[in-house]
Amino acid sequence: MSLVAQFKARFEALRGCAYVVATETEAAAVAHSIIREAGADCAAVANVSHEFQVVLRRLCCESGVKLLGPPFLSESLPGAIAGAGAGVTGCAFGIAETGTLVEVTTDDAVRLVSALPRTYIGVVRASEMVPRLMDAAPRLRNIFEGHDKNVVVSFISGPSRTGDIEMILTLGVHGPEAAFAIVIND
Amino acid sequence: MAQARYAKLERRIREAIEDRGKRDSLWACMKRGRDNRIDALARLEGGVAFRDDVRRVKERCIARQDELLDRFTRNAEKRGAKVFFAKDAAAAIQYVLDVARARGAKTISKSKSLTTEEIELNHPLEEAGFRVVETDLGELIIQLVGEKPYHLVFPSVHKTRKDVAEIFAKETGETVPGDIEAIMKVVRRYLRPIFLNTDIGLTGANAGIAETGGIVIETNEGNARLVSSIGACHICVMGMEKIVETVEDALLMVLAHPVSATGQCPTTYVTWMHGRSPLGEGGAPRESHIIILDNGRTAMRDDPVMREALHCIRCGACMNICPTYGVVGGHTFGYIYPGPIGIPWTAAAHGLERAGDFAPLCISCGLCREICPADIDIPMMIAEVKHRDAATRGQPSVNRFMMAAERYAGLASATAPLSNWCLSNGLFRYMLEKLAGVDRRRRLPPFQRDTFRKQFRRRPSTALESKRSVAFFVDVYANYNAPELGLAAVEALERAGCAVVVPAQQSAGYPYIAYGDLERARAVARYNVSRLAPLACDGYDIVSPEPTAVYALKKSYPKLLDNDEDARRVADATHELFDFLNQIEKHPPETALQGRKFGFHCACHQRPLGSGAAAMEWLRRRGAEVVLVETGTCCGMGGTFGLKDGALGYDLSMAVGAPLFDAFRASGVDTIVTESSVCKMQLEEGTGLPVRHPLELLHAGD
Repeated sequence: MSLVAQFKARFEALRGCAYVVATETEAAAVAHSIIREAGADCAAVANVSHEFQVVLRRLCCESGVKLLGPPFLSESLPGAIAGAGAGVTGCAFGIAETGTLVEVTTDDAVRLVSALPRTYIGVVRASEMVPRLMDAAPRLRNIFEGHDKNVVVSFISGPSRTGDIEMILTLGVHGPEAAFAIVIND
Repeated sequence: MAQARYAKLERRIREAIEDRGKRDSLWACMKRGRDNRIDALARLEGGVAFRDDVRRVKERCIARQDELLDRFTRNAEKRGAKVFFAKDAAAAIQYVLDVARARGAKTISKSKSLTTEEIELNHPLEEAGFRVVETDLGELIIQLVGEKPYHLVFPSVHKTRKDVAEIFAKETGETVPGDIEAIMKVVRRYLRPIFLNTDIGLTGANAGIAETGGIVIETNEGNARLVSSIGACHICVMGMEKIVETVEDALLMVLAHPVSATGQCPTTYVTWMHGRSPLGEGGAPRESHIIILDNGRTAMRDDPVMREALHCIRCGACMNICPTYGVVGGHTFGYIYPGPIGIPWTAAAHGLERAGDFAPLCISCGLCREICPADIDIPMMIAEVKHRDAATRGQPSVNRFMMAAERYAGLASATAPLSNWCLSNGLFRYMLEKLAGVDRRRRLPPFQRDTFRKQFRRRPSTALESKRSVAFFVDVYANYNAPELGLAAVEALERAGCAVVVPAQQSAGYPYIAYGDLERARAVARYNVSRLAPLACDGYDIVSPEPTAVYALKKSYPKLLDNDEDARRVADATHELFDFLNQIEKHPPETALQGRKFGFHCACHQRPLGSGAAAMEWLRRRGAEVVLVETGTCCGMGGTFGLKDGALGYDLSMAVGAPLFDAFRASGVDTIVTESSVCKMQLEEGTGLPVRHPLELLHAGD
């Protein structure tokens, strides 16, 4: 099984949903349709490529969805992002074995984009997929060494879940109840 | 009086046994935890091999703790975090209070942190006027009802959906429907403004990384992400044992912890925080404080027996498998830290007496060690806690009686058949219960005057041309109660070409470990090792038909005797009877048990010895169909525990065994096979089915 197929299978086993697309434009279109289907009239986006953001903004404009993007002004936070129905973040890499998206940021506003809205969409490039959990180590070390002050790495493997009532799996207690991964097969 | 001390514990055990509904739901939860872990291990490359890696990493990092602590501190401070080393709970609490006051904070939101539970941080913060809100759902539930965690990973596992709905209805004033989805919506609405308006976010950490100065926080709910990002000030409270050296070490913890806890790999969210990031552009600088807590950990590290407890990664797997925890739950089986590992941790963080108050719930089955991702010898640490506790507070007389069981077995054997008449006499059993604490409901096996040892001595030497020399370790039951079983074992060994000797020996002495008389346990171990080691040196194999005896010789004695060379030699030479027979039998008879079907019960002490696979294989080689019937935990007998009178004995023992009894009855087998003499007693009584040792099947013709 290819790494992308493995990632998709695992991410979906964790109650997420993964799409594999060919281009940034296509990825933005898929993200837009997920936002629409979630019924969100406001979405937030961060950490994505310029091309992705331009296309998504145009599509959102056309469909009347308000799109928040960087720069996020500190004084508007966390309220502004809390008001978004969907959040889209670009991820530095993925881990195929565990169905994990790895978000890297030096701004906690980006963490809110993936943590506060009911629907989360993570975008990752297929070429940035590592096979196994332990393969993440050198990449993590590079990230930490590359930032001598602050940096936060977040592993995201599916939607927010809890088993705290009768050990029964329930989604979306605080964060996203739906998690989507868009893999750009570059 | 030592007995009076446990009156409250016994009352709570009785209440737990009688609450059948709660018992069933706790059982279902613990079983789900075990099953999920097994499923996850099936997916994980190498399966349980990760335990060795975790063990090695924890050993290395604890051995170099001072150096790693310095390195972590330096690197975290370079990133702008303030690091405070708190020598005890009071110092940690004071630091948090000072920070909160200096910032003029009102609301402190917390994500789950057992370390803050350990130091009981919430209460003094609330006293000082701060609003403290737990945001992990399980922690929030117990906070709202003012309880302590019931389980490390699932703190509110004892609350049903109906209970939870009522708790939130009371808190919010809303009508809360009793279905989980609806409850989640209420919780989300309730917590959202708290997250958004939090002044200080307080989290624990699953690991601190010395080489990077960062912390790692695992959650499934995502609450730690919100707690650690929104508040202008973040405080992390972390036990000093959480500091690992490298990113790889931390990744291994990220793998091992949820696999063992919930069968996940990894948790939904893993946050690797380094320094403190701004929130958007143009805001004021934000703070990060990391409190590293000692609170007894340095003393643990310097204590050769308790040191291993620092390897604990807080997965709660030992709770999921602990037989008595599965009946009584974490409020009875725990102080703040619940379950098996809770006993040494309570002793270290909250005092020996508090640990001793619930330590008798451990029946020394050893399963916690088998499931522990860091292979911590929890049973031996618990024995040490019992031992230290008994040194100052005494040992209940019933435990003293049980530890002397071999002496009484010898007496009963010497006075048979009179002793057997007494043991079946109601008045005698009543007296025995009142005076010695042996539950009169427990059916005891009759004693034989002509013991195995006597009969063996009388036997003509049968050794023909022997290929192997075997030293036979008989233990209590096959000597005093079932000499024919001991002889059948010897004959089987001889038929397979062994010359068998029965060297001078005492019974394995496991009750001394179980009740925590480690001096006597050591004396027995020393005696047996002194008699067996010379034989092992001469190339003898040591073989026993009793699983607990094999476990003692292989696993417990080396530990008791500080891994000395003789103890290791004996351990290496010791085999389970059927494992040994399978290895040396050339042409086993194929048909002796053709057409027979048996349900096999694996004794807990066999788990590290191959889980009964050898005995099942031996039966199958003789044509039998064998099904392993198991629930994933103990039958409840716990050696001599199930002989004891009342709640801390027979009653709890039968409650633990109930699901296994049901499983055997539902399996459709008409005969149960087990190698353990004590499990045999328990299963006969619990299922009403005949229970046989494998060797008896060939001889008894049934």
